[in-house]
Amino acid sequence: MNAMNFIYAFLMLVFVFIFQTSLTGFNRKVTARLQKRYGARWYQQFLDIFKAMRKDSTTHGWVFDFGVIMALGGIMATVIFIPVAGFRAFPGTDNVFVISYLLAVGMLGMAMSAAGSGNPWASIGVGRALTNMLAYDIPLMIVIFTMIFAFDSASVGELAKMQQGMGILGWNAFRMPLGGIVAVIALMGMLGKKPFDSFIAPAEIASGPMVEYGGKHLGFMFILHEFMTFIEVSLIINLFFGGGATIWEYMLKYAVLYTFTNIVSGVMPRFKIDQAVKYFYRVPLAMAIIQGIVVIFTGLGVTIWF
Amino acid sequence: MNLNLIIIITTAVALVAYLVSKVNDKAGAAMTVVGSLFALIAVFLLRDSIGTEITLLYFNFNLTVTGWYFALVMLMAYSMTAFFNPFWMKKLIYPAGYNFLYLLSMAGTLGVFFAKDFITLFVFWETVVWSSAFIIQMGKSRQAAYVYYVISAIGSMATLFAIMFAYGTTGTFVINDAFGGLAAYPGRAIVIFVTFIAAGMAKIGIFPFHVWLPFAHGSAPHTFSPVLSGGLVKMGAFVALLSVTAFPAYKIFGGMASFRGIPLPIYFMMALGAISIVVGTLMAIKQEDAKKLLAYSSVANGGYILIGLLMLDQVGFAGGLMHIVNHAVASAAAFLSIAAVAYRTGTTKMSEMGGMIHRMPITYVVYLIAIISMAGIPPMGGFVSKWLIFQGLADKGLLFIAATAFFGSIGSFLYVFRPLSAVFLGQTFTRDLNKKEVGVFMLFPMVVLTLLSLLTGIFPNIFLRVVTEIQTSLGVLPVTLAENTIVTNNGFLDAFKVFIVFGFGFAIAFVLFIARRKSRRVELMDTYTSAEFIHTRELLHYSHSFYAPFERLYEKAPDTMKLYHKAAVKISEIGNFAEAIFFGIKPARTVLLVMGTVLIGIIAGGVLS
Repeated sequence: MNAMNFIYAFLMLVFVFIFQTSLTGFNRKVTARLQKRYGARWYQQFLDIFKAMRKDSTTHGWVFDFGVIMALGGIMATVIFIPVAGFRAFPGTDNVFVISYLLAVGMLGMAMSAAGSGNPWASIGVGRALTNMLAYDIPLMIVIFTMIFAFDSASVGELAKMQQGMGILGWNAFRMPLGGIVAVIALMGMLGKKPFDSFIAPAEIASGPMVEYGGKHLGFMFILHEFMTFIEVSLIINLFFGGGATIWEYMLKYAVLYTFTNIVSGVMPRFKIDQAVKYFYRVPLAMAIIQGIVVIFTGLGVTIWF
Repeated sequence: MNLNLIIIITTAVALVAYLVSKVNDKAGAAMTVVGSLFALIAVFLLRDSIGTEITLLYFNFNLTVTGWYFALVMLMAYSMTAFFNPFWMKKLIYPAGYNFLYLLSMAGTLGVFFAKDFITLFVFWETVVWSSAFIIQMGKSRQAAYVYYVISAIGSMATLFAIMFAYGTTGTFVINDAFGGLAAYPGRAIVIFVTFIAAGMAKIGIFPFHVWLPFAHGSAPHTFSPVLSGGLVKMGAFVALLSVTAFPAYKIFGGMASFRGIPLPIYFMMALGAISIVVGTLMAIKQEDAKKLLAYSSVANGGYILIGLLMLDQVGFAGGLMHIVNHAVASAAAFLSIAAVAYRTGTTKMSEMGGMIHRMPITYVVYLIAIISMAGIPPMGGFVSKWLIFQGLADKGLLFIAATAFFGSIGSFLYVFRPLSAVFLGQTFTRDLNKKEVGVFMLFPMVVLTLLSLLTGIFPNIFLRVVTEIQTSLGVLPVTLAENTIVTNNGFLDAFKVFIVFGFGFAIAFVLFIARRKSRRVELMDTYTSAEFIHTRELLHYSHSFYAPFERLYEKAPDTMKLYHKAAVKISEIGNFAEAIFFGIKPARTVLLVMGTVLIGIIAGGVLS
């Protein structure tokens, strides 16, 4: 751990921000085309963030500010741990549990800040977001657990590397097909894409966690959202789609998967939050457990392709 | 100073505290602080004499590193909570009795952890149970003490049976010998294993014994709940530990049917731990009382501890042992912060307060750090121990137990956030607008516990070194530790690095935040309200049934306490039935009938044979 690590980490943050924000802009265009609109320019997302950062803002006390800082800080720390195409800013820290639980620091900060605004709408949004998390995380964690058991490693980078060099069938999404499907569904839940977007409630005017944010606080939340998207998509890419041997391969896979979730989201209606829980605890949970039993008790999926 | 002296002195201080409290209750409460701090330091200094044995009257003690570790955790909870005692004297009916029993139960725990034979263990165990039962009934409800005592008695009697059975089989009361000699009798060993561990399960609050925790933790005096959850529950963990180490469960059950390398009797106990995680989590989510919520969270965390300890391997076992410290620290801190709030507001009901952060910011930070650790989020201690337990489970491929562990882990985000949001965040109630932060004397233990949570999270190896000593002393392969790193088969964890990177991220965010224009402070009531005009703070606070959509999904689930009530009714019905037969209108006829039946049975038996 020396100064170079921190410089790499910083550069990684800058890269991730530019990459993901451009991709979000591009996806706004995709969604618009799905809805037969022309859509905003690809760099509109940058303009939105910079505009928010420049504006005046109001605060509801120190925890409102502190929560925002803690959220962005926690999320950025998590981004630093994500291995991208074999690159790690801090070698040996990409344990999957560290990543998924450090992500929770950011979420806790966000929840804290939102509830600290004193607006009941925000609290309702937080309650829904946490419930949603309880729904999607269990099936996903079971699949990841199975993977750790199968390959004797909890390092995201290692797990990604093991899938490389065997062509497309070496990817865990194909070795453990049920697990792959669970992962993509859980990713939709993590990203808050339809049908699992009721906690953000973008269609209702004000009943999400974001209700009290404006100015730089809102700008922070936008940035945070980009980083969070990167963490979530990257986890799935690394664990199930073989990561990437080169950065270009990685970015390509990433863009395809992210755009795919957006297209699905574009044509979906929305679950209520309890319906989302019911759904996740029926179909994906059953699939995850079946996948787990198959892998742990038969070894199928660990060795089948070679 | 040796152990005998420590036990004698703390008991003497207890008596003195009783007499002093009769004159001046605050001075008596101050003696509990002195007594418990003395015990903490004295036991800490016992480290050099680990391995020796000592006798006090009929009681034989064996200073093991395991006992030392447990005793320190327990005394930490006792001594930190003692700082709150002087402020609660006015609210107790029997302050003198409280102070006496507080120290007496503490002295009792020392005897339990260092016991060499079963008689010592049992006598001190009962001392703790009795004295704590009398403290619990000084709180909000007497029923809580009944429930606590009944469940404890079930456990104690089962253990007594196990002890006697083991004695009858091997002819000795010395723990290691009595249990070690059972290998020749696997049939009896199962009975002894199940009955012996029952007391431990009852104490940790493992399903189906978990019902006492919400009652006792929720209704005990606010100053005793942290001890119950942070300390006394860990006595159960100690018994669970004995039942896989002193009682060589893996050796005795080694030849039996097993599931992924875990013999079925042990796996069954682990499954009960898993059920406790789920039940504790689901119940905690829907509580309306902050202390009951934390009590159910203790049920869930007890499940993790039990699962970790029962694995008895290199990694998961270390996780279980470390989780004892982490949960004790976090739960004591959380209960203390709720007690501090209750000290100012007079309630622990979450819907009756809000926005306390603006009145009690330090208490808020204490609670925040405690729940981060309790939920197992880095960079606090709880993460390290849960990480170890997950790694242990992944090593063995225990899929179903792991699934519940994940559920409990994510579910804990839900329930720990409720008091945070309902008590500390949101709108401050008009009644509480003039409340102040608690005094330095009460803040001190809370801050110490918070720093401990951080220390266990950033430098876990300080604690894990003791854990490796325990593992070595029990003949288990110790967990591998490098300088700052914990190494397992599936990867390694550098908690310090995680903390540094988190700090780095936080620093960037902070700089970015203060670099932008300063924001304007507005009133909490000045929020978007969908064009309604609301001027009552209480109405603008969302805290009641926070996760209503989720709670609706399992509102019809059976309540264990109701099932127990039903069972009680059924048993008394059977009793009434028997009574009606034997003491009915014509008892003589019944007696004749029974005698006739017996006679026919005897004759028939004679003929047949």
